[in-house]
Amino acid sequence: MIGLATIAFAVLAGVAVLTAVAALLVRELVHTILWIALFFVDLSAIYFLLEAPFLGVLQLGVYAGAVTVLLLFGIMVTRKRIFSREAATGLGPAPVALALLTFVFVVAAVGELPSGPSALQVYAPSDLSAALFGTYGPWVLILGIIMLTSVSGAIYLVREGRE
Amino acid sequence: MTGLPEAGFVGLSAALVAVGLFGILTRRNFVLLLIAIEIAMNAAILNFVYFAAFAPTPGEGLAGQAAAVVLVGFAATEVAVGLAIVLALNRAKGTINVAEATELRL
Repeated sequence: MIGLATIAFAVLAGVAVLTAVAALLVRELVHTILWIALFFVDLSAIYFLLEAPFLGVLQLGVYAGAVTVLLLFGIMVTRKRIFSREAATGLGPAPVALALLTFVFVVAAVGELPSGPSALQVYAPSDLSAALFGTYGPWVLILGIIMLTSVSGAIYLVREGRE
Repeated sequence: MTGLPEAGFVGLSAALVAVGLFGILTRRNFVLLLIAIEIAMNAAILNFVYFAAFAPTPGEGLAGQAAAVVLVGFAATEVAVGLAIVLALNRAKGTINVAEATELRL
């Protein structure tokens, strides 16, 4: 008997792959952003399906919100007309073959994974935050330092009058 | 909730990495390149979340979810720096085609 969760996962996984492919293949860049936004929302739904609500909300806020708007901003300021089309780049056989080969390799490695418990573990967001700012505090600290330095680098790159 | 297909998640991650790799290899537009990298990175984050959900002990599961949270932060940082490079490239060359970015100095 196929459970409701399995059907939901199958639909969400199909939509994820289709939107990812569509985002890379459509000719209009603004449509790319729409597809990738759908992809991010779809992945957040998968996180909710995996009972990881904090990560689902984070995915919605950071990816579907901030990253999508940043990418749209990047397209807006670098194009004279934002609905202009991308020059057609053909689907060469080599990249497609390499991508398929990667897929086959990774799937072939799945058989060697140890089979874990089949019960889904549920973690409360409070437990996750306690672990994040307790045991894994150094990770968050390193993330903060990297964010600070990269923002400094980004400001240096785009500031006016740099020669 | 049970009955989630175990191999399905790894298969989905593999498919997303393959799609991302395809995009990285074929696209010339810098923004599309960033999107392809994001797709591949999301596959990695999905793997972290999946293996955290089926971890043997709660400590390991929380480690996986914490890693996923940190990775989302890294990915957002990477997009910010990437877009700064897009703007600098556009100012220097008048295009965001990576094939024309032949110098390190922008």
